[in-house]
Amino acid sequence: MVTDFTVIDNAGMPWTLSEHLDAAAVVTFHRGDF
Amino acid sequence: MAQRHDEFLARGARVYGLSADTAPMNTAIVEKLALPFPVLSDPDRAEAITPLGFADEKDPRQISRPGTVIIDPDGEIAFSVTGRDYADRPDEDDLLEALEGLGLPATTQEPPELGESQPGEKAMAYEGLPHYFRAAKFAVLAVRGRYRHLSEEFADDTKRYVQMVERYLEALPAVEERRT
Repeated sequence: MVTDFTVIDNAGMPWTLSEHLDAAAVVTFHRGDF
Repeated sequence: MAQRHDEFLARGARVYGLSADTAPMNTAIVEKLALPFPVLSDPDRAEAITPLGFADEKDPRQISRPGTVIIDPDGEIAFSVTGRDYADRPDEDDLLEALEGLGLPATTQEPPELGESQPGEKAMAYEGLPHYFRAAKFAVLAVRGRYRHLSEEFADDTKRYVQMVERYLEALPAVEERRT
């Protein structure tokens, strides 16, 4: 089981994984600053 | 992924980007590429990047390794792949096949709400993307042509890279359409 986590969305608000698992989540990790 | 977003939704999955960049930097990327999904921020790498195994300890910039995970509705990892470098992107067909196996009902995903936007110092302007992709494609083709006889792995790897860049080039008209 993935440990629940909270990151920041594009509106600057908290985004918590467990609140969005009414569907699968495809999370693509980027190196950034592209 | 943006080009095939509907295919992910049809298989019961929402798409999220994630990086160690700040939220304003990620918002600038969403705007630049007119992404239909959010790019989330984990600036300390402590919440998701490190726990899920994507921290690049060798890079002094403290950024994430590239890769993709599929987390099913039970919170289990259904698929995971880590790229060797920024040129190593997962095959979307592999992701969709993994989702197909989960047998989930279709879902929806609202476009991300956007706040402050601030591109990073090294961020490429949208107008530079076609030139960047063409330059990358022809540089790799030239090197591939010279040295592919030396290694089958090299030949296969460079072929995949060129195909990936060609997909990005093919996607640009759709990006342009989304931006307008």
